[in-house]
Amino acid sequence: MTRARASGDPVEALGDPNRREILRLLSAGDKPVREIAAAMPISRPAVSRHLRLLKDAGMVAERPQGTRRIYHLQEQGLHAVAAYLEGIWGDAAARFRLLAENTE
Amino acid sequence: MSTPLRMSFEVACPVEHAFSVWTAEISTWWPPDHTVTGRRDLAVVLQSGVGGRIYERTPEGVEHDWGEVTVWSPPTRLAYSWHIGRDRADATEVEIRFLAQGDGATRVEIEHRGWERLGRDADDRRQQNLAGWQALGPHFQAATQRGGR
Repeated sequence: MTRARASGDPVEALGDPNRREILRLLSAGDKPVREIAAAMPISRPAVSRHLRLLKDAGMVAERPQGTRRIYHLQEQGLHAVAAYLEGIWGDAAARFRLLAENTE
Repeated sequence: MSTPLRMSFEVACPVEHAFSVWTAEISTWWPPDHTVTGRRDLAVVLQSGVGGRIYERTPEGVEHDWGEVTVWSPPTRLAYSWHIGRDRADATEVEIRFLAQGDGATRVEIEHRGWERLGRDADDRRQQNLAGWQALGPHFQAATQRGGR
């Protein structure tokens, strides 16, 4: 199974209560946008925006079913969080090391 | 969900220097890609001592807080809250240890933890770790196991 390419910041994706609520709803089962929006106090366009961000961050994915798009949790969604953080700390460590070893 | 991300590496300099570069010199090495504004001309400040602010400052003087020092034990240990680019209520925690290796080198251990806090709603901190997090937790834990290399 290949991992979906994540371009967004997964930690930012988790930093919003509405997006966490969407993840919670999806953890109970796959849902179309309409159903997610119905369970939330925000507008459907707002839900769609949050879903796009979660999708960019690799947390959710969608599949077409007739004219609808069904969203589900990305099986390895949170791998994206760890990979993202490892990337940040890896970059930081490399640059830190270069500086620390070449200064006094 | 609360498994920390751990990472360590060795650096060829004494612990005192490593600690000093990590703190006082952070502006010289922190990756500009991993800042709020992403600008290359900004200053990064890590104020010394417990309660010290960590922030970035643009040349225009605009500041973005990243966190606050919670442990200050030079030259071996340092910890801070960390909410770069996010709400302060969603702060995680970073701890850095600098371990002397005997040959003038230093082992740097980074631990980034407190992920369970991200699962809380800022407006209702008691209602934390809802079903979604329970479902996602195992995936996250599996992913973070790979962090300890």
